[in-house]
Amino acid sequence: MTDPASTPLGRMLMDEISPVVMVLTTPLVEAACQKNGLSFIEMLSPFCAFSNIDVPVRTASDQPYRLQKFKLRLFYASDIRQPDSQVARERLLEVITQAGEESLDLHTDAPQTDDLLSRSEYEVMPSWFKFFNKELIRVVSFSDHEAFDHPVACLLVVSTKDERPINRFVDLYNPDHLPSLLNDGAMDPKILKLYLLVHDNQDDGPENTTKLLFEMKSTFGVNVSQLLCINSSQDGLVEHLQNPWISPKSYTSSTLRLGHFLNKDDVNEIRDLTQELASKHIIPYMEEKVRVLNQQVSATRKGFRNQIKNLWWRKGKEDSLDASNGPMYTFSSNESQIRVLGDYAFMLRDYELALSNYRLISTDYKLDKAWKRYAAVQEMMGAAYFMLNHSWKESEHCMENAFNTYLKNVPAGHQNATRCGLWWVEMLKTRDQFKEAAGVYFLIAGEESLHSAVMLEQASYCYLYSKPPMLRKYGFHLVLSGNQYKKSDQIKHAIRTYRRAVSVFKGTTWSYIKDHVHFHIGQWYAFLGLYDAAVIHMLEVLMCSHQSKTTQELFFKNFLNFFQKTGKACELLKLPLPIIDASSLKVVFEDHRTYASSAAVSVTESLWRSFEEEVIPSLSTARTNWLEVQSKFTSKRPKESNICVVGEIIEVGVEFKNPLQISIPLTGISLICELSERSDDGQTDANITGGMLNDQDSKLAADRLLNSSASVVLSDVDCVLEGGSTTMVKLIVTPREEGILKIVGVKWKISGSVSGCYNFVANPMKNKTATRTRKHKHSFSDNLKFAVIKSLPKLEGMIHSIPERVYAGELRYLTLELSNKSEVAVKNLKMKISHPRFLNFGSAEHFDINYPACLQKITGSKRSGPMPMQREGSDSVFLFPNDNVIRKGSSLSWPLWFHAAVPGSVSLYIVLYYEIEDIECSMKYRTLRMFHNMEVLPAIDVSFQLSPQPSTPQKFLVRMDVTNQTSSEDFQMDQLSSLGNQWEISMIDPLFHPPLLMSGQAFSCFFMLKQRHEKSGDSEEISSLHSPIGGDVKLSTKDDDDSLFDVSLSPLSDFHNCERLYQEKQSEGGSHTVDFILISHQVHNKNNPGVSHSPCFLSNHACHCSILGSSPISWVIDGPHEIFHDFSASFCEVSLKMTLYNSSKTVASIRINTMDSSHLGDSGSVFSNQEGWYNVPLESAIKVTSDVRGTILKSLLWESAHPTIWSASSSTKLQLGPGSMAEIPLQVCVFCPGTYDLSNYAVQWNLQPLGAQQNPESGPSSGTCPGYPYYLTVISSSSG
Amino acid sequence: MIVCVAIVGHQNNPLYIQSFTDGDDALKLHHVVHCSLDVVDERVNNPKKSGPMLNETYLGLLYPTENYKVYGYLTNTKVKFISVTTDLDVKDADVRNFFRKFHAAYVDAVSNPFHVPGKKITSKTFAERISTIVKAFGLSSAG
Repeated sequence: MTDPASTPLGRMLMDEISPVVMVLTTPLVEAACQKNGLSFIEMLSPFCAFSNIDVPVRTASDQPYRLQKFKLRLFYASDIRQPDSQVARERLLEVITQAGEESLDLHTDAPQTDDLLSRSEYEVMPSWFKFFNKELIRVVSFSDHEAFDHPVACLLVVSTKDERPINRFVDLYNPDHLPSLLNDGAMDPKILKLYLLVHDNQDDGPENTTKLLFEMKSTFGVNVSQLLCINSSQDGLVEHLQNPWISPKSYTSSTLRLGHFLNKDDVNEIRDLTQELASKHIIPYMEEKVRVLNQQVSATRKGFRNQIKNLWWRKGKEDSLDASNGPMYTFSSNESQIRVLGDYAFMLRDYELALSNYRLISTDYKLDKAWKRYAAVQEMMGAAYFMLNHSWKESEHCMENAFNTYLKNVPAGHQNATRCGLWWVEMLKTRDQFKEAAGVYFLIAGEESLHSAVMLEQASYCYLYSKPPMLRKYGFHLVLSGNQYKKSDQIKHAIRTYRRAVSVFKGTTWSYIKDHVHFHIGQWYAFLGLYDAAVIHMLEVLMCSHQSKTTQELFFKNFLNFFQKTGKACELLKLPLPIIDASSLKVVFEDHRTYASSAAVSVTESLWRSFEEEVIPSLSTARTNWLEVQSKFTSKRPKESNICVVGEIIEVGVEFKNPLQISIPLTGISLICELSERSDDGQTDANITGGMLNDQDSKLAADRLLNSSASVVLSDVDCVLEGGSTTMVKLIVTPREEGILKIVGVKWKISGSVSGCYNFVANPMKNKTATRTRKHKHSFSDNLKFAVIKSLPKLEGMIHSIPERVYAGELRYLTLELSNKSEVAVKNLKMKISHPRFLNFGSAEHFDINYPACLQKITGSKRSGPMPMQREGSDSVFLFPNDNVIRKGSSLSWPLWFHAAVPGSVSLYIVLYYEIEDIECSMKYRTLRMFHNMEVLPAIDVSFQLSPQPSTPQKFLVRMDVTNQTSSEDFQMDQLSSLGNQWEISMIDPLFHPPLLMSGQAFSCFFMLKQRHEKSGDSEEISSLHSPIGGDVKLSTKDDDDSLFDVSLSPLSDFHNCERLYQEKQSEGGSHTVDFILISHQVHNKNNPGVSHSPCFLSNHACHCSILGSSPISWVIDGPHEIFHDFSASFCEVSLKMTLYNSSKTVASIRINTMDSSHLGDSGSVFSNQEGWYNVPLESAIKVTSDVRGTILKSLLWESAHPTIWSASSSTKLQLGPGSMAEIPLQVCVFCPGTYDLSNYAVQWNLQPLGAQQNPESGPSSGTCPGYPYYLTVISSSSG
Repeated sequence: MIVCVAIVGHQNNPLYIQSFTDGDDALKLHHVVHCSLDVVDERVNNPKKSGPMLNETYLGLLYPTENYKVYGYLTNTKVKFISVTTDLDVKDADVRNFFRKFHAAYVDAVSNPFHVPGKKITSKTFAERISTIVKAFGLSSAG
């Protein structure tokens, strides 16, 4: 532990608790002193503090000790009184305000906490704190209950120029003008008087003065009379090396001249005077007094008897307590004398003596309930303990006791408590108990806001310097303090404290507190008119998504308001709002790839690339002609940059996210771009590459933007970001010159006033270092760098009137229009379509045709309609005729056919390839990518079911099931065509016409399909090319014969082929299938006039409808149905003929089993759930025989023994080739007349596989079919 | 009654802070909670003061402010629970019990697979559960 005297508190106590000398001067003395710009006291006081006075002192004990440091306090008599608290407060206010002006330094950042911690406490704390504390202590000085402020001596000063100086001395000590302390009996009025004669050497010689001095000495005594000569320097040019009168803080120009009439001799004289004053007069006087008082106290209070007496006496006094603290204790009272003794001992550094006396009276005061005096004594005890360096606990306890007593028991004791608290704080700080010190500061903060503000701020520093630092409390108390400063209109101080607090909360996630701090700093700066600084802080609170909506609005409004007042509308700020996600950046540019629509852009590049493969020339094959030109160029260009073309747009999609709940209007969103010349070696200008957008050079960037505006055209976009929304904004830049284009950032304006910007390449430094590692070079920033090359021709293509929603089956005629707006012609056009099933090329003849009339059958023999075109190259690549060169400004149209094949969403990709005629161009070819997405709605669902007629092998019954799946549309069926000329289709009822198919309606109708026998085995291809005769059935009610459609014409047949190809996968095709095309048209609903209609037809293709039933084997039994027989002669033998047909593609081995027993019923039930069409027994046949014999009826139920029996073989086996027929004779014997069902046989078939091919989808390879019902009626001829 | 509860992560970042007062003193309570972290740090760094129990999670009364009493609780993962009460005499056992329930609720909340550790707890269920616990505490301490 260091010496208590050298601690701040020790110094403070030794400063404050030192003998007071009352000074009485005449006006002429003051006038003489004022020549030096000083008052008399000011002139003397620098010499009143002695660091090495070395005076021997002997107080109560006999052991003398030597005083080294000593101090005298000089006060004018008029100042020896309780200071006016109002004046004191005003002075404090002035000090604080002045300090506030100094503290508000905008250019320096608020000190960081780490920085503060590295410095010592007294460096960091503003110096005016000390002054403030001193003033607070001074407010309670010269109170009557504390003796250390009572003057010890009185110095009477008279000038030699005064008239009759001796009389003046007497007059000066006029009891009427003396301080109240002396008059009201609080202190002994008989104090030491000293007489000083001041002589101004400028006035006249010293002759007169010696005479006066002699006179003085004779009058007042030799010892107490002194002479002081000042102003010895005549010219007033004395320069003091270390001017003692200049306090280092109040350094102004006028202070330079302080004391300029006082030469060295004068200064020495003053020093000697004060030294003598202290050592010869005051200290001995005090010693004397201490000794006298000590004896008195010993006599009255020491010893057991006195103690008892004292107690007794005090008890009696208890009644008269009303006059509390007042004139109860006069200077002559025991208590006051003990207090004086204690204080004098304290001042003479005899702390032991002081302490014992303080202790003595503290109990007295306590018993008397004189709380103010009690507290004051406790305070001094604490100080004495501290100076003795004895016990921390004791000193602290005394201080706490004093403090609490002041607060609780002393009316208006707050000021005293403050002084006590400040001493206490210093005591705690000395012992590094900063946290406790902070607590004390907090306690003395009190009600008055300015006072508490300063105290709270001091408390905050205590927290900062406590070990370990309590930064959060530091911040909190700074905020509290700032709040109090604000309340007392010290806004600058408030800003200062808040700014310090910011460093605590920086980087934490306590956003509410952070917002509060920044917002208030911002507001206060704005209040002071410092809008720049206000805006900086308001920027911090803009991102307040956690706040309520009203708060967000408030912040936002304030920010805009302040910003407008800065008057820097054009300056770009790095706004945190709205949020831009750099990774969301989407750049669309066109090099050799061009896009017809934005939808085409959104398709992934890999998809396009794989799709394009067939169209674009591969590198290896084209090396000889065009790559050489290209390679020369590419070697010059930095490889990592993209290529774009002069005059063609680069579109950048930027995602703006508004995290707030309020909507933010953004205007003038545009890109910040740089276009620099490309020098020969392919390097860009260094000064421009280096120039990235930083905080500092944002203005620079703005300038550059203006400069480059001639070569770059930027788009402006306005939008409103709704609360919490994310908006993709598409920004466009169009370079107008060749060079290197760099997209640096984006800028915008909020609410039309605040310009913000965002730098896409957030860290330019990092990027520069990345150049070394080439691998990572192709990074984000490179995607924003473009090599702008010379203007190239660009085709623009569009498909006119392409529908977005169509009904399945719709057939449309579309036109592709390609236009070239550039100077250079393009040639060698190629085109590829992803889904030929949906979209197909027309041929040149399709121009200007009248759809749908062109599809109709021409009645004449000559067919001039569109023919199916011959394709060149790949299936889906279409080469335009070579003479198709699109020149400048011209356009080319080409017909396309669209057929909505299946319902669902369809994405059509179209790539158009073209070459540029001008060889000098850096790019040889370009592609145009088109993309269309359309929704195909289900319209007509058609299915066909064919079942062979058992009676006629080559006739089939066709059931067509049609369902209208739309909800609002009606359709009229026009035509059903079967493709292939071996088929002939006809209505079963020629007069029947299917009705209008209403929405949601289902409908079935039947047709008869007949296979024509033709000798020549005509193949599918030929049949599809030739017109099928009789393949069409007109379904519409129109009588017009011409309205039949020719399904063999180009678009229909092309699409049909596609459908065939597609549907082939689903069903195994064979020669025994038939394709159907149903053509219908939409009947315009009158209720729905809003929808525009184009005359279009729907064609539904159903391919590969199998003509076969469930089994590949079909048979028919031929024979008589009614026989007359005479059973009396013999039983009846009936010959039957079974005709078998194998419709499968392989050889079938067939076995016919005839069964006489009844287990046929079982097999019948097995196959009962078989699908398909079979004849049912006719009820009438049974009825005919019912009257004849009941037993025969029973036989029909298969239960009884059959009266019939299969004769000939019971089992026949044969091989049947594919598509061939065979006839097998059968014979049945009938034993009695009746009607018999001869279905009790089964046909077992087994298809032999074709080699190794084992297709599970081709159907069952074997099966058993029960016999068809065949009714034979045998009538007995004998009876009839 | 409890006016504020807070969960503070091990980097002293607020994970959850909820005040139960009608007035607009959220900021004040934020400050109070934030400051109490200093005390928590102090307690953790000077284990002598924290009492005989070495593995005690309950930190006890952190500090009394003018109107509030602040209690703390520290989990093994260095997550701090702070509660600010206006009651002047609260039984220690009550607070202990409250924190135990609070802790259980917190564990359940962060066990949610959709919760990102170290991010603020936004679960509504958790908020409801906490307010129930707080209400229950108010009833038990009043009765």
